[in-house]
Amino acid sequence: MRKNGVKMIKIKAKDVDVFYGKKQALFNISLDIEENQVTALIGPSGCGKSTFLRCLNRMNDVIDICNVKGEILINDFNINDKSCDVVRLREKIGMVFQKPNPFPKTLYENVSYGPTIHGMAQSKQEMDEIVETSLKKAALWEEVKDRLHEPGTGLSGGQQQRLCIARAISVRPEVILMDEPCSALDPIATAQIEELIDELKKEHTIIIVTHSMAQAARVSQNTGFFHLGQLIEHGSTDKIFKNPDNKKTQDYITGRFG
Amino acid sequence: MNKNKEQLLNKRYNAEQRFRLYGLSAIFMALLFLTIFIFKIFSTGYSAFQKTWLIVPVTFDAELMMLDQNPSKEDLQDADYYDIALKSMADLDPNANEDQENELKRMVSYFFEKEIKNELLNDPNLIGKTKEVYLTASDDLDQVFKGNYPRDLPEDQRRVSDYQLKIFDQLVANGKVESKFNISFFTNADSREAELAGIASSFMGSIFSILVCLMIAFPVAVLAAIYLEEFAPKNRFTDFIEVNINNLAAVPSIVFGLLGLGVLLAIFQLPRSTPLVGGITLSLMTLPTIIIAARASLKAVPPSIREAALAMGASRMQTTMHHTVPLSMPGTLSGTIIGLAQALGETAPLILIGMVAFVNTIPGSPMDPAASLPVQIYIWAESAERGFVEKVSACIMVLLGFLIIMNLFAQIIRHKFEKKWS
Repeated sequence: MRKNGVKMIKIKAKDVDVFYGKKQALFNISLDIEENQVTALIGPSGCGKSTFLRCLNRMNDVIDICNVKGEILINDFNINDKSCDVVRLREKIGMVFQKPNPFPKTLYENVSYGPTIHGMAQSKQEMDEIVETSLKKAALWEEVKDRLHEPGTGLSGGQQQRLCIARAISVRPEVILMDEPCSALDPIATAQIEELIDELKKEHTIIIVTHSMAQAARVSQNTGFFHLGQLIEHGSTDKIFKNPDNKKTQDYITGRFG
Repeated sequence: MNKNKEQLLNKRYNAEQRFRLYGLSAIFMALLFLTIFIFKIFSTGYSAFQKTWLIVPVTFDAELMMLDQNPSKEDLQDADYYDIALKSMADLDPNANEDQENELKRMVSYFFEKEIKNELLNDPNLIGKTKEVYLTASDDLDQVFKGNYPRDLPEDQRRVSDYQLKIFDQLVANGKVESKFNISFFTNADSREAELAGIASSFMGSIFSILVCLMIAFPVAVLAAIYLEEFAPKNRFTDFIEVNINNLAAVPSIVFGLLGLGVLLAIFQLPRSTPLVGGITLSLMTLPTIIIAARASLKAVPPSIREAALAMGASRMQTTMHHTVPLSMPGTLSGTIIGLAQALGETAPLILIGMVAFVNTIPGSPMDPAASLPVQIYIWAESAERGFVEKVSACIMVLLGFLIIMNLFAQIIRHKFEKKWS
């Protein structure tokens, strides 16, 4: 979205370096991410795009040997600062993973988990509403409204992934990170998710890591191309795909490597 | 070239055939040993569940019992039953001399006086009348009746005299010997007399020890496992702890017994021979088993579940308590039951802390002296009387039954929890 013709920047990464032990995985990444847009991160396997994504909600904290340096500003607040509370941060920044990972609980419990731990509903009725709206936004409500109290693991792969999206948006996050959300799904389920992403960007800022360049071209407004831990080029998707500045980007887009 | 290939193929098939044969014969051997073992125990043990009774007419002579007219309940309690008891046994052979009367007395358990007393207390109207009373046969006659006693030995090598055998055979011929289900084996505590010895004390002792062991080992082990698996940083110190837990699991159980003796009894002055001390000692032994099982099942929870919870903004504690621990519970619980089953069969540490003492009372709490089932087996196996041989096997059967039930329980828990989400 543009206000008064100026792009609103939601996330601003400045000189981010990531180390796994002594091995450096990301070099000097600086990237601005626009609000209420879909930003795709593309690049060959092992280029660091998932690592960068996981920096944005500090999921790399879980890995003992992982060390993140540099500034990441979300709403002008540095999340790598000591005063940043990861629980509050992750409430604002949801994440959807590569493999659908619903909790082995009922559909209802899956979606209500976030609002429960963050105390977002005062009554059962409010919770029911949150669950319903989240599932509706994830385009899953019609399929599952009669079996909310059955295990979430009993759904098909595509439904499970939409359940995970419903779970992520249940706490109304500002940003949703998606780590190759369609790589385990068939083309029909993929199309449903892509449609959903387009819908979700009205209310959320979305960053999606994908292996499929076609997908990046379809769903995103901005694209960043990673290679060997470096951000080679970023800009509007149109420009990256039609007229990239960098030779490497061009080679990758046209399928010469990767 | 083609022929060569064929040969190679045949060779491979033959190797597989041979391997299957080895596997089958290994299973066959294992089953054979198991069958022999179980057959041996059952064939020696089943007779312990039967008890031999002599039916003897007793005359409740008020004069002999030193009772007045219209005696009160207390009078009946305090009355002297020894004389009528002796007399009823002596009356089995009117021509018996003094030595023979003594032998007659020894045909029943020393408990016979009490059995006669109970008969009268149950029915005070019996005074002055004669009634046929069931008296516990002595363990030797019990074995004779069950056919476990060799009659063809010379008399001086037998514990049953020719005279006793003669009278006994008469009783059998008159239908005055009966075999009934041995209730006292389950309700009596241990006794020096094989015909009276039962497993009540050791059974309760085992249950109390296992409960104490469970209450200590389970929470400590689960907390330790959760901390080590989910919270502890991976460094040299935690590696060191992990190695030591694994070592602890391999420490011989008698060492834990020494620890119990040296620390619990000597320093903390806890009461000797009690299930409390036994349970604490066993819990030390069970701890590493449960920790290892709990850690393995925590490890088996897919990391994607942890990531999902963390990404929702759950704290580490919430992730662990809401997701990881509940999912790991089936594995933890069946590991716990297997650890407890191990503790249930443990003898050596209990012997060291004094649970090998002769206990002829049934414990009412973990603070009362008691034996335990495996120790009871050990005590009886050491006894010389023939009557204890079958008791050993019977006690093993009870212990095995106990273990089978526990393992079944572990299976059910596993099945029930795992089914829910598959």
